[in-house]
Amino acid sequence: MTVPTDSGERRRAGDRPPLVTELIDGATVQEITEQAWLALVGEDEVLVPLPAPMPADALSSWVEIVGPWTGSVVLTCGRDTALALTRALLREHAPEVLIKEEDVDDALGELANVVGGNVKAVLPGPSVLGLPETGSTPPPGREADTCRVDVLWRGEPLTVSVQSHAERENEVPL
Amino acid sequence: MTVRALVIDDSRAMRRIVTGTLEGFGYETRQAGHGQEALDVLHEGWVPDLCTIDWNMPVMDGLQFVNAVRSNPAWRAVTLMMVTSESEHGQIVRALAAGAHEYVIKPFTADALRDKLALLGLLPQEVSL
Amino acid sequence: MTLTATRFDWVRQLVHRESAIVLAPGKEYLVEARLLPLARKMGLSDVDQYVDSVRSRPRPDDTRSIVEALTTNETSWFRDGDPFTTLTSTVLPSLLSARGPAERLQIWSAACSSGQEAYTVAMLLEDAMPNASARVSITATDISREMVERTRAGRFSQLEVNRGLPAPMLVRHFQRAGSEWEVAPNLRRMVTARECNLAAPLPRMGPFDVVYLRNVLIYFDLPTKQAILRRVRELLRPDGWLFLGAAETTLGVDDSWSRVVLGRSSAYRPLKGA
Repeated sequence: MTVPTDSGERRRAGDRPPLVTELIDGATVQEITEQAWLALVGEDEVLVPLPAPMPADALSSWVEIVGPWTGSVVLTCGRDTALALTRALLREHAPEVLIKEEDVDDALGELANVVGGNVKAVLPGPSVLGLPETGSTPPPGREADTCRVDVLWRGEPLTVSVQSHAERENEVPL
Repeated sequence: MTVRALVIDDSRAMRRIVTGTLEGFGYETRQAGHGQEALDVLHEGWVPDLCTIDWNMPVMDGLQFVNAVRSNPAWRAVTLMMVTSESEHGQIVRALAAGAHEYVIKPFTADALRDKLALLGLLPQEVSL
Repeated sequence: MTLTATRFDWVRQLVHRESAIVLAPGKEYLVEARLLPLARKMGLSDVDQYVDSVRSRPRPDDTRSIVEALTTNETSWFRDGDPFTTLTSTVLPSLLSARGPAERLQIWSAACSSGQEAYTVAMLLEDAMPNASARVSITATDISREMVERTRAGRFSQLEVNRGLPAPMLVRHFQRAGSEWEVAPNLRRMVTARECNLAAPLPRMGPFDVVYLRNVLIYFDLPTKQAILRRVRELLRPDGWLFLGAAETTLGVDDSWSRVVLGRSSAYRPLKGA
């Protein structure tokens, strides 16, 4: 069995964990997200890189990456946007199906999985991708250690953030 | 020729996308939400021509499922195609070494699935032309 | 800002004429999104101005850019597989027996786009011959400088490597490079990319043993097709092979070729004395 090769950057014992902003940039996250949208949501579904205020009833989905770098990839958008995304994903495959809340959670979670898997491949490995979760409260990340992309999809705000876990700060015993 | 596929993914949306696409190519499909559920379908006697397999799933993951199918000679004719967002070079090598025939990285388009099935000789003729 | 109806119609008709692809009404926003980068490259701030400028002075380069931008030019690897499988099953053995052991095989991928065809050939030969990189050179040409640079870089997006590239070949011949995949250095060394306009006199190249000229002739009128085939013949060795696209033929265009049926596809070879 071949051991998975990683992309080269390896952390030596005693080094501080790498900051996500040293490993991945907004342009890469944006490109990964755009490809997911073009392939799965629709071939003319463009993402416009513009920030806009997020509605109060936002929904997030996220996957965790555990390895030399540990953190989450989080997708956030308004609930109506999440419903529209679910419709677009299912398009011709299940047009007659009445979309329920768990379908929206599932679809938004799968988009986080797709973006997260591709983000993981850019980060140093080997690492493990967790199963997607959906909710109104994403895991807390360290503000200074977050790579975040704000886009508009069909005019509505959507953010993708790659963030180190807050508990990483407690790695060194207090 | 009716081609049968078992679509294995823990996301219902993704299962609908893959089954919808395969049915468009003339496939007869069934679905499973994880590897164990898929093994149950095979044990029950519904042995497909193709399994599309997600990697990260609860209960039994895709790599464990590939190993389980490959360890049973009765299922030798089943073509195994990973369809997953796991996209490191080393992960693809691992899946192929375990016995997967093909590997589609999420996100994918219907055209990408069609191209891979054509490579595997699993595209009903009228669609490939 | 929305594209006006008359400008959208003009783009729609152009794309339909050149590619047979139909842009349904309501796709104005798609046209805008795809053409905006082209407008910016010309120093214009919106797509209306860009369309007006191209309409007032139509140049083949501009119209081709518009068609390419709107036809999601996603080339797949092993596109119409047969011209590639016959390369190693029929063409290569016949060439190797006809050439001396020190002679270099020269292959031309004409209108190479982002390089999938050239690298498909390189991978097949690398897997079929022990010392392919020493024995084969592949010339990849395209009219667009951007495509030549992309071919030279040998980097492909996730969506691109998903299109018809067998997974065992992906892991054997590519490495990850950020969010993209990069062709192995030994294959990149086999491929030389350069700019070349097929509709004009060709630079000094070749002579070639095999030419892939696929899905290119369809863009040109009859006299240009004839001129291109004549110039290609001058660069092809007398026992060389020409592959055209599945819907293309020399029949009724240039009678100095003979058609050879190879499996489900065909190749064309220069007629002796023609």
